[in-house]
Amino acid sequence: MEITTLQRGSITVIAIAGSIDGMTATTLVTSFREQVAGGNVRIVSDFAAVEYTSSAGLRALLETVKETRQQGGDLRLAAVQPDVLRVLELSGFTHILKLFPDVEAAVASFPA
Amino acid sequence: MTAGDANGPRVAVVLGSGSVKCAAALGLLKVLKREGIGVDMIVGCSGGSLYAALIALGHEVEEAEAMTRRLWTRELTSRRNHRSLLSVFLPGIFGFDESFGMVDDGLILRRLLDAFGTSTFADAKIPLYLTATDFHTGEQVVFESGPIVDAIRASIAIPYIFRPWPAGGRMLVDGFMSDPMPVGVAIRQGANVIVTMGFESPYQHKINSPLRFAFQLSSITSNNLLKSNFAFHNLAHHAEILPILPEFADRIHLFDTDKIPYVIQEGERAAERQVPYLRRLLGRG
Repeated sequence: MEITTLQRGSITVIAIAGSIDGMTATTLVTSFREQVAGGNVRIVSDFAAVEYTSSAGLRALLETVKETRQQGGDLRLAAVQPDVLRVLELSGFTHILKLFPDVEAAVASFPA
Repeated sequence: MTAGDANGPRVAVVLGSGSVKCAAALGLLKVLKREGIGVDMIVGCSGGSLYAALIALGHEVEEAEAMTRRLWTRELTSRRNHRSLLSVFLPGIFGFDESFGMVDDGLILRRLLDAFGTSTFADAKIPLYLTATDFHTGEQVVFESGPIVDAIRASIAIPYIFRPWPAGGRMLVDGFMSDPMPVGVAIRQGANVIVTMGFESPYQHKINSPLRFAFQLSSITSNNLLKSNFAFHNLAHHAEILPILPEFADRIHLFDTDKIPYVIQEGERAAERQVPYLRRLLGRG
């Protein structure tokens, strides 16, 4: 899994490539935690290149969305691919996470 | 199918409800066998209970497919249970009770006996758990001993169609009513890596009969139950749950057994996508 982070104004965009699973979720959680600890709680995660997410991936997302929301921010997902979307739907995550078709829309969804 | 590695993570296969779609489990089985990935336990519910039992008893894919095609045909629902139907309209005379089921279940029982005979859970080569639902309390009931036919018959007691099945002093209905994909059983039994396959109940295209109306309500409830339970299990489990989600371009109906080869193929395809990760998880990648 590869993680690329860039700042778009007050929004942190974290692009992930590969699978989010038991072997990689810790790396992702660490990356999310670093951002939240640094006060970056308005996060867009670019899922365009995420191939798969397992239960470990779901737990990583849940931890981060709770942390960011507790601090007035949010974790929003962009460009979720069909295989990953099916897992998010099956696990009810589409009810609690905000999903957007692309990074631009996700970034724009945060109030200025 | 071989037993799991005693020193490695405990691997469970969980097969949820989904009628004929559950034959996709045979595609998963093919992949696990080809990769030499052993399984420590198998959990099945509703349609998945048939395949869980066939796999646990050691049947090969081709044999299991042939057995299913003999067992699960449209004829199963062709004989009405007239007494039950009359009891709906004339309960005072015919006595409506919890044993209601619109279809005469004699044929399904005979076919289950033909397929599984007197096999018990003790005959399973891999520990087997099959689930049903207590009609009176709604609790999940897990079979892990006794005759396999009893457990499957209870697990596939489709509401309104087959009468609830008495076993162990309880009246039992289809396992999907308490959990359509019983991952919790595998968690409780100490599984680490849980490979699971299950399906949402189809929604009716057209509501043109009371039965379709009832099925639609049942699908709404069970699909929401599937999602909420799956979410909880994903968050509660300490290790890994891998959903194998075959995609079907065609709609698969309750008795589309002629589509089983296609269903198996899609199950195999979906399982193959997870093999690299599964191998890494098991330290073999």
